[in-house]
Amino acid sequence: MNMFRTMMVGAAAVGLAVAATPAQAFPDGPIEFVIPFGAGGGADIEGRLLAKKMGEILGVPLTPVNRPGGGGAVTYTYIKNAKPDGHTIGWNSTSVLTTTNLGNTDFGYEAMDHVGRVEFQPQPFAVKGDAKWNTFAEFVADCKAAPGTLKVANSGTGSSTHTAAIMLMDAAGCEVIHLPKGIKGRNKSVLNGEADAMIAPLTGAVNLTKAGKLKILLMPTDARSSIFPDVPTAKEVGFDVTLDLFRGLSVPPNTPDDVKAKLADAMAKAANSPEFQDLAKKKGFTVAPLGHEDFTTLLASEDVKVKKVFTSAGLLNSKSKK
Amino acid sequence: MSPDVLAGISQASGFLVLLSTVVGVFLGLTVGMIPGMTISTGIIVLLPVTFVLPADISIALLLGLYVGGMTGGSFSAVLLNIPGTPSASATALDGYPMSARGEAGRALGIAITSSFIGGMVSFLCLLFIAPLLAEVALSFRTEDMFALVFFGITIICSFAAQSLVKGLLSGVIGLAIVTIGQDPVMGTQRFTFGQVNLLGGIHFLTAMIGLFAIPQLVSNLVESVGGAQRIQTKLQSVLPRMSDLRAIRMPVTIGSLTGAFLGILPGAGGPIAAFISYDYTRRISKRREKFGEGTVEGVAAPESANNAVTGGALIPMMTLGIPGDPVTAILIGALIIHGLAPGPLMFTERGDFAFGLIFSFFWANIFNFIIALTALRVLVKLLATPRSLLMPTVAVLCVIGSFALRNNFFDVYVMLFFGLVGLAMRWLDMPVVPLLLALVLGVPLEENLRVALTSSQGDISIFFSSPIAVTFLGLSALSIIWSIRSARLRQRSDPPSSKESSP
Repeated sequence: MNMFRTMMVGAAAVGLAVAATPAQAFPDGPIEFVIPFGAGGGADIEGRLLAKKMGEILGVPLTPVNRPGGGGAVTYTYIKNAKPDGHTIGWNSTSVLTTTNLGNTDFGYEAMDHVGRVEFQPQPFAVKGDAKWNTFAEFVADCKAAPGTLKVANSGTGSSTHTAAIMLMDAAGCEVIHLPKGIKGRNKSVLNGEADAMIAPLTGAVNLTKAGKLKILLMPTDARSSIFPDVPTAKEVGFDVTLDLFRGLSVPPNTPDDVKAKLADAMAKAANSPEFQDLAKKKGFTVAPLGHEDFTTLLASEDVKVKKVFTSAGLLNSKSKK
Repeated sequence: MSPDVLAGISQASGFLVLLSTVVGVFLGLTVGMIPGMTISTGIIVLLPVTFVLPADISIALLLGLYVGGMTGGSFSAVLLNIPGTPSASATALDGYPMSARGEAGRALGIAITSSFIGGMVSFLCLLFIAPLLAEVALSFRTEDMFALVFFGITIICSFAAQSLVKGLLSGVIGLAIVTIGQDPVMGTQRFTFGQVNLLGGIHFLTAMIGLFAIPQLVSNLVESVGGAQRIQTKLQSVLPRMSDLRAIRMPVTIGSLTGAFLGILPGAGGPIAAFISYDYTRRISKRREKFGEGTVEGVAAPESANNAVTGGALIPMMTLGIPGDPVTAILIGALIIHGLAPGPLMFTERGDFAFGLIFSFFWANIFNFIIALTALRVLVKLLATPRSLLMPTVAVLCVIGSFALRNNFFDVYVMLFFGLVGLAMRWLDMPVVPLLLALVLGVPLEENLRVALTSSQGDISIFFSSPIAVTFLGLSALSIIWSIRSARLRQRSDPPSSKESSP
């Protein structure tokens, strides 16, 4: 994909390079915007729009390139080894913590530099629209009455939905069967009754919930969602569990600070553009740009959570060790 | 009419979508006509183009090529006695004798008309059966999906008719290749040898480009066909006469229904449908001794059948995500790249797109009919395109295609590696289609098996407690027994002409 676009960008770059008078000023050419997941998914659609807006702000094209594989590992490896001149940036997500801790990469998230966060979305706990449970407490009660029988679907072993599901079930003292149904199969399994509940990114559950086919019991996040203001957070119900699905930008290690600052500025402006805000409203994610410092702090605290959950579930570095 | 149907009609009838349907049909007629280019090769070559196009335009282009290719194959079958595609093999039986006695135009007119009717019958099947089947498929649980995919895998036997051992071996190699990458349930790395590019597994389209295109390029190089074929480009009227239309009523009915039905059954495909309907038409015909000497019935039956297969084969592809032939396998890949995984959820989540696809298929048949009838004389001249131009283009597009799939140059090496595998398999006379089916179906087979066992906590009885699963496992057993028996019967009677079972 994007062969032609890359070539066109290349041609444009030649033109720009000729036109640009002051040497060494960033950006002095097109920027490769690497998306860790396949075309057509949430990460792809949101990333492409952000790249387009950032390109308008920086005055150079940002070329979106999908490099899927290994739950993001292929892209993160590519970013870590790329030239640190700001012309290769990665569209990261919570996967930067999960895939690294699973051992898909031989490095952690700290091996890259991080420009900032763009957006996040809660990962609601949902059941079928006509399920007998109307609150999370009722689900927990049934779960405790018959441990190890209720099934909770997620997007895949070690994914952020799986991580959130383990955290929530552990906090509630629930013993359930976690079903790694994949992104496509997850919703279907709840709808046809195979799974009793699921954790899904909000964007993946908004439409079905609005149509009454799904019921969201709670969200393991900090504040109530503006789309479903009646749904309590996990904290309100008494479980101190938060794990959001975030997306932001990463760059190769040792990228100069002024380059990062320039990227962060363009990123925040693009995130606050009306087009990106519209997409957020339509799909159900929250635009909340964070700068380099705050994002790094957030990554550190979330990494601790992920490590803790993976250790207890026996998933930490499970892929490389065996 | 539901809003999805209306949205589908408008999606398929936009100017750019219609234009790409026309382009697809034109390319399909060309690719189908040229011996040495199968429909699969044509679609593989077009793939990289579709990555940069929107999904609706891409699918219109590919469907046009699919439909056009089925008809185009008959041109060279009639004019040169070389079927352009394996599906057109049966057409040559009566089509070439007709053209030999100077009735090429008449034969082609019959072929085009029969193709059109076959295509429209299968469009109706697609329109009415697919949504119903999708609704049923939505209730399939993991264990049911496993049984269904398992049934799909048993198709391998029917592609292995020549040598069961070689066919099964080819399938097993495919299943082994599928284990490269991440374990679908635990996420553990398997057979990646620390190579991060192998984490995502072998993309089946990359493998397919190598398996199909490279051996074809090599054999074209080796044969170095100098294009010395004399092509009969003088054609009389191609519009069928009334008396011919009356004569082909029965053959076309038989062909269309057989084709659509065999299309729905994964694995049968164009060549088998064409031969079965030819054979059946001959048996019930009053002048059966004339078959093989150039009868219109003998052209009409297989041509309507192989076009009817296309719509039939789209039914399991769209509703279950199970490919019926190599072309639909590639279509699944092309749709996934656009984030549109075919399967029961396609009609619920993207009903507009699902119906858009169905109506693009409708338009493809209409345009196929019009273009084939009006542009026949121009198209036939393309038969003389020198291979020295054609084959380098194909080679370049293979490299671009395998790179562009994931923007990863590593995949080009993977493609070349599979090219060598394809050559070795051709040399060993081993069928490629079982390997391909295993590559497509291997992942869901393993995933559903293991998730079902996770769900049941390791209890195998889960596969025997669901009526749907039991039905499909029973059908799998029947399918295996049937194909082994028919292979034996065929071996006992005359040895079959060596036709590869791909359209």
